[in-house]
Amino acid sequence: MRFLRFLFLSLLASLLFAFSATAIEIEISSPGEQTIPLAITKLLPMTAPQAGIAEEFQQVLENDLDLSGLFDLVDPASFLGDAAKLTLRSIDVDFAQWKLLGAEALIKGGYRFEGDKMTIELRLYDVITRRLLTGRRYLGKAKDVRRIAHAFADQVMQGLTGELGPFSSRIAYISNRTGRKELYMMDVDGDKPLRLTDHRTIVLNPDFAPKRKEMIFTSYKAGNPDLYRKEIYTGRESRMSLKEGLNIGGRYSPDGREVALTLSKDKNSELYLIGTDGTIHKRLTKHYGIDVDPSWSPDGNRIAFVSDRRGNPNVFIVDVHTLDVSRLTFEGKYNATPAWSPKGDRIAFARLEDKRFDIFTINPDGSDERRLTFGPGSKEHPRWSPDGRFLVYSLDRDNEKSIWIMRADGTGARRISAPGGDDTHPAWSGRW
Amino acid sequence: MQNLSTRLLVMLFVLTLLAAGCAKKPVAEEAVVEETPQVSVVEEQQPVAVVEESVNEMPSSSSSSTMSAAEKAAAGLMRVYFDFDQYLLTDVAKDTLANNAKLLKAAPGVMVKIEGHCDERGSDEYNLALGEKRALATKNYLVSLGVSASRLSVISYGEEMPLDPAKTETAWAKNRRAEFKVKR
Repeated sequence: MRFLRFLFLSLLASLLFAFSATAIEIEISSPGEQTIPLAITKLLPMTAPQAGIAEEFQQVLENDLDLSGLFDLVDPASFLGDAAKLTLRSIDVDFAQWKLLGAEALIKGGYRFEGDKMTIELRLYDVITRRLLTGRRYLGKAKDVRRIAHAFADQVMQGLTGELGPFSSRIAYISNRTGRKELYMMDVDGDKPLRLTDHRTIVLNPDFAPKRKEMIFTSYKAGNPDLYRKEIYTGRESRMSLKEGLNIGGRYSPDGREVALTLSKDKNSELYLIGTDGTIHKRLTKHYGIDVDPSWSPDGNRIAFVSDRRGNPNVFIVDVHTLDVSRLTFEGKYNATPAWSPKGDRIAFARLEDKRFDIFTINPDGSDERRLTFGPGSKEHPRWSPDGRFLVYSLDRDNEKSIWIMRADGTGARRISAPGGDDTHPAWSGRW
Repeated sequence: MQNLSTRLLVMLFVLTLLAAGCAKKPVAEEAVVEETPQVSVVEEQQPVAVVEESVNEMPSSSSSSTMSAAEKAAAGLMRVYFDFDQYLLTDVAKDTLANNAKLLKAAPGVMVKIEGHCDERGSDEYNLALGEKRALATKNYLVSLGVSASRLSVISYGEEMPLDPAKTETAWAKNRRAEFKVKR
């Protein structure tokens, strides 16, 4: 494809200019229009083969790259002799074979064990220019195969678009699997679900700290809906805001220094900014209506939120500095849960129509509103991936609530949470 | 394209639902808190026309004569119900609260927590705020009827604790409520 050659020329140019230029980006907001034919060969054993390693790696990598919408996978059944050769240097690859199959990009790799220590070597080649695009060596153990596959999927995205993929990040969510609503975390493909709280009351609406491995959420543990902070790996937990009434919908500012949330200490729900020590820095809204659901613009200057100040719930935007409020949504009768893209260009939200929510996106100036989800079931709580390419959301259908991921244009939707409980309120971490 | 026909189908489906609509309820009355309580009228009426049974069961051993004030109050305090996306008290709700106020005034030492609840429709955060407004409207009305504000606390559970988990108009109507929990 022409664009790919252009891309590689650009990459070459950027290399020549001593990495000063960033690689050209492929817009994947309209996937399918420009997919790259990609061949993923099976990992080959460099020492004694170990059952399952290559298969699990392949499955995770393919799933990630398929979700990206960037690739057409070349059918492995058509692979020729080079697929069975471990060629970790471009001069050893028989690119002519891959060209014959129509592949424009090629992934090859191998693994070896020394005791329980595993090494995986991975290469992404450009078939047209016969060059190495990305080479990575991962050291770990057999249990790390999935992590390594996600990490390399991120690198493949980086190699071909100039921006890392989001596949190594995490999804937090609320699940009632224990009979109570508790906080959980899982991989982007739903693997490794892990319960993080044992509050045995009601835990709600998590958000990741942008830089630390830390989350905030609301819990009724102390008899009031208070805002909690939890360090994910130490398990250390504290109450961040415990004002009388609601302490809900906490969202870290992009620099991680403040939290926007709803407090009702004065008998009406209003938006505030608090420090991470819980002290109030600023009151953002002043209206007798309901003000909830803050979501920061990536520059930290504005916050989208939900208010019924004009009658029905709609999305508004408040300027954090001037406190000027403007209305964002005008269509529909019930618009809620705004989520500002980390790229800044779109705001996702859920609209309630005829007893079910669907997910929409809109420009921050209110133009170009688009509906992303269709079909049965109620879709709520959209949140963006750290690269702004994907959305995670919850689906309530057939008396079961589950977590789904789709591309930013609404295509490629797939369920990631396992059956066995009601899973809601996903939040996407930053880069992990 | 298949996508287009799917969208058309969805739109047709949506239109059908629109036509079906939701059951229209009478508009809730405007004035809430400031209204002078019409106690005399209420006293002449039957206690309340609410079908829900009381929350707390009495221990089988205790007869009504030996019930504590708290138990009596707990047994008699009735839930009130709200219209969709509303926190204004309906006439029925006001009648219920008038009766609750009488019980509370007869048991002056009893502390009560008022819980605000919502049906599952709408966003969770918005419903937490709405549930609190329901609980506060309930509290304010009781205060206007002469119940001491210091005896009444409020908490919102939003849509988290439905009485009836079904996805029907009947269940939703049951879930949009304020409840009374006696603090012991």
